[in-house]
Amino acid sequence: MRKLAIVITCFALLAAVPAALAHHAFAQEFDVNKPVTLKGTMKKWDMINPHSWFYLDVKGSDGKVTEWMIEGGSPNTLIRLGVTKYTVEVGTELTVEGYQAKEGTNKAVGRNFILKDGTRLFLSLSGAVPGGAPDTK
Amino acid sequence: MNCRCLASLGALALAVGVAAGLMAPQPMAGQAQTAQPRAAASAPAKPWTGKTPEGVPDLQGYWTNNSYTPLQRDPNMTKEFFTKEELAADEKRRAAQQEEQTTPGTTGDVHYDFTQFSLDRSQTRLTGNLRTSMITDPPNGRLPARVGADAGAAAPAAGGGRGAGGAGGRGAAGAAAPAAAAGGGRGQAAAPAGGARGGGGGNATYDQVQNISIGSRCIWSANTVPIMMPPGYNPAYQIAQGPGVVMILIENQHEVRVIPTDNRPHAPSGVKPWLGDSTGHWEGNTLVVETVNYNPRTLTGTFQGASDQLKVTERFTRIDEDSIRYEFTVDDPKTWVQPWKGEMPFVKINGPIFEHACHEGNYGIANTLNAYRQEEKKAAEAAKAAQPAK
Repeated sequence: MRKLAIVITCFALLAAVPAALAHHAFAQEFDVNKPVTLKGTMKKWDMINPHSWFYLDVKGSDGKVTEWMIEGGSPNTLIRLGVTKYTVEVGTELTVEGYQAKEGTNKAVGRNFILKDGTRLFLSLSGAVPGGAPDTK
Repeated sequence: MNCRCLASLGALALAVGVAAGLMAPQPMAGQAQTAQPRAAASAPAKPWTGKTPEGVPDLQGYWTNNSYTPLQRDPNMTKEFFTKEELAADEKRRAAQQEEQTTPGTTGDVHYDFTQFSLDRSQTRLTGNLRTSMITDPPNGRLPARVGADAGAAAPAAGGGRGAGGAGGRGAAGAAAPAAAAGGGRGQAAAPAGGARGGGGGNATYDQVQNISIGSRCIWSANTVPIMMPPGYNPAYQIAQGPGVVMILIENQHEVRVIPTDNRPHAPSGVKPWLGDSTGHWEGNTLVVETVNYNPRTLTGTFQGASDQLKVTERFTRIDEDSIRYEFTVDDPKTWVQPWKGEMPFVKINGPIFEHACHEGNYGIANTLNAYRQEEKKAAEAAKAAQPAK
């Protein structure tokens, strides 16, 4: 029973991991069995909190263009680091690796955002480094 | 970047692993330190004497409590304080942990990459807290025994606790759903046993909006409730003061604490605000705030298992231009055999606070409910297919 109690307590403590990081349950919203790799051009970036939404025009093998909504992180920290909606311009070519929404529409969580030159989005642009001081006085 | 081990672990293993101290500092050699260095790593500055027009200490400005400091000290840690060099090494190690990629095709991989979005803790200013735990009393830096616990079973073997989940919390799973869907994702919460659904992060299900955690519903965030623990991202606060009142605007989930400083009595116990009922007063240079009457759904799964008897006393003391010492005492005789205390610094950052307009961007609720309906449909179809033909 004591072991059980400890396990339950561990779960309770994990539940304490904040909503800040767990704003919504990714795996409940998106499907691990539906990995997607989308190559397209940025059509729009909604910098809305707590989750950005990128709109991507993705051209299929048949030449047909489909719009996808890709979820990404909170823009607050990016703005503080100097990344704005003008940093990644409309028309930028992106490859997004992620998982499609369980509801089956053209929505996905963007696991990796990869620019044309192979770098991953924002990290290189923001200049963020461990201990990052860009927002200190 | 190449470690692809986290997501391959099961939810329980992760839960236990995390709780057992993934986030806690590694054992350090050396004797216990007894000196009391400043909480922040910066050099001592001129003592703060600033006052507001009202004549009370001026706490105003923009602040962060961003830190890797665990609530509880690792049982193997022998020191109360790191040296600056040790802290730098510890922060570097934790930053590397946060940058690790999860394994594609696993539940833990279903999230966006925090590092890419500059959301990892290391990418915002850290407070430089040299303490090896937030808890200062009991002196071992760990939670006291729980009421009714077996002798020797004192505090649960947990390193983190509420709000300190940035690095270690990733990859945990455990939400209930019809087809074994799980919370997943870095920093996701697991479901504790018991308690009302839809609380502060625990025991949520996704069948209807009322059962989804109040954090996901943009009602509340764990870092907003006294104790104000560091959130995983957007750890920014603004303090403003007026005659007889202190306001704390909390960026993460855009919550506001309005604290009267006239030491007025608490509201009747039947009044249970999401953030509890706070009343404050000044003791010399220190703002003292006492909070009781926590909402039951705030307590559910979010506050180390505290009861409705929870009382938190916070003490804000501005040390210098750059820092506030934030101390807290947690008193809950139904839960712990003794009160426990902790401390962390808040350090200055540049403003402004950016609006965290959670509802406006909260497509997640509709998506998760839609996903649940899809799973129900599939489960019903599977059940129908499994029935023997008549």
